[in-house]
Amino acid sequence: MLALAWANLMHRKLRTALSALAVGLGIALLLVSKGLANGSIAEVDARMQSVSAEIVILPAQENVIFTNGAPFPGIFERLIARQADESGPLATNVIPVFFGQAHMGGQQQRLFGVDPRQMDLFLGPRRVLAGQVFDRAVGFAELSAQAGRTDSAEILAVDNLSDRLDDGLELVIDDRLRRAGWRDENGIHQEYRLGDVIRLMGRPFRIVGIVEAGVAGRVFAPLQTMRELLNGGQPWSSMFFVQLRPDVDPVRAADHYQAVLGSEARVELKSEYGRLLHESFAQVSMYMSATSGLALVVCFLFILLTMHTMVLERTREIGILKALGMTRAGLVRLSVTEALVVSVAGVAIGIGLAGAAKWGLSIAKPLLTVDLTPALLVIAIALGVLGGTLSALYPGYRAARLEPATALAYE
Amino acid sequence: MNNELMIDIQGVHHAYEHDRVIEPVLHGIDLRVRRGEFVIVMGPSGCGKTTLLNILGLMMPPTRAESLNLAGANALTLTEADRTRLRRELIGFVFQRFNLLPTVTARRNVGLPLEIRGENVDGQVDALIKRAGLANYANKKPGQLSAGQQQRFALARALVGRPALLLADEPTGNLDSANAAEVMDLLCAFHRDWGQTIVLITHNDNLAVAADRVLHMRDGRLSE
Repeated sequence: MLALAWANLMHRKLRTALSALAVGLGIALLLVSKGLANGSIAEVDARMQSVSAEIVILPAQENVIFTNGAPFPGIFERLIARQADESGPLATNVIPVFFGQAHMGGQQQRLFGVDPRQMDLFLGPRRVLAGQVFDRAVGFAELSAQAGRTDSAEILAVDNLSDRLDDGLELVIDDRLRRAGWRDENGIHQEYRLGDVIRLMGRPFRIVGIVEAGVAGRVFAPLQTMRELLNGGQPWSSMFFVQLRPDVDPVRAADHYQAVLGSEARVELKSEYGRLLHESFAQVSMYMSATSGLALVVCFLFILLTMHTMVLERTREIGILKALGMTRAGLVRLSVTEALVVSVAGVAIGIGLAGAAKWGLSIAKPLLTVDLTPALLVIAIALGVLGGTLSALYPGYRAARLEPATALAYE
Repeated sequence: MNNELMIDIQGVHHAYEHDRVIEPVLHGIDLRVRRGEFVIVMGPSGCGKTTLLNILGLMMPPTRAESLNLAGANALTLTEADRTRLRRELIGFVFQRFNLLPTVTARRNVGLPLEIRGENVDGQVDALIKRAGLANYANKKPGQLSAGQQQRFALARALVGRPALLLADEPTGNLDSANAAEVMDLLCAFHRDWGQTIVLITHNDNLAVAADRVLHMRDGRLSE
């Protein structure tokens, strides 16, 4: 049966190749879009998990992906730090983060404003590949304090102060963002280098350090700088990581913080961050799945049409096979086998294309992560095989129902 | 040849319907053919010969029939699956237009009935092809063969499963006289050696000499 199906397919090589390619495109689209969605979420989650902390405190009612601004006033930081049991404070470190935006690497990046003294909690075992981590940036906070400002905007408006503020206008980026780089006026790709100046928030920020990829943010600036530029110097924060004392139960601590901070905050275990990301990404993910699913359906309609055309075109041959005693089930099997061969070839092409797309994206867009997991590949193979089978059933059934004499008389 | 009946049909009627117009083709055909008998049905084009052969070959049901027995089985009461099985096991076909599958080699075409039955193909197919004098052409596709070669392969395919009944619809109709003679010689040789029942329809008078019995068909009626 397989040999006969193969012979039929090889008799129309171009059509067979086009059908397989159509399926392959659908499969590739599905794999890349799902792989991109899953990969992005997994990559962000892994980066957040790299922070040396057990608890995250986020603004309530906000999507974790799109959280910006600083809804937590300084009292929150102090409240979190103050929580204690009989053995002392629950937290060994309260790690405030102030989010901003930076257009770097060809796309919008979340800029992590962090206290330079806490950078080791973000770095963990990751190395500083070049430069340093803000040790000069502390000066900016000190400068602000010395200015005794009541209105930081006023300080920043002082022209000759700009140069002195350079101490705080510093960035640390990860190696992936360094490779993503930028395009010069001739459209030539350039990697970021130490000392490059990037204009953010109307100010020239200098890249002072490059760290190994995998840290929570792709781009960091000093916390105080962010607060000065975006929040009038007020000690507000976008979120907190909380590093607990080793003997503290994270679940109980999270419940305690939630009770203390009330409905303004959402206290979660850091290990749950991936789930929060998936929840936040659900609609986008659904849209992407729907789009790629639709593409897949179109591909299978293409197979259906192809198989239908093949049945029509081979009506006489079907008559011959029936005259020779092939059963209805045999004809359906033949039709399904042909579609399966096309589908399997299509799945192989699709996986190949998705692999090529992943490789291409890693070169062209280093910041994108396409995660082609074994589970995703299994789903693609199952969809390809199932779709191919279903697409062939109707044409096969039609062929099987023909009277041999009617089929043989077909011109 | 013995007295056991291979074909025993009575009162077979058939009509085609085109655009709600009913066109009767067979008008109460009665036919009895003994096992091993070689019967030729002659008649002009459009008289219903092919329709009769299709009904005998269980390739289409008659519009109406009193009986339709093949090798003792009442085909009127058979299910579609049983008719297919009977066709597969009992009947071989030779068509005017050869009807070889264009997608596979001639050798594979010959082996198809066995392949469909799930039987081993190799030995019998090659022996039959050799006997038909076609060994050198077995690996060619039908499109690469002459009409005569195609029909000889078609004959080999019809006989490879050793069917008890061979139905041939104008097997020489598309051949020149030399090729027609070659095909008929081969057909007669197989009939002589294997003794299958043959019903052959043609309008070529020259073929009549090969038959045990010649029937004439005109306007959907059969006569001796």
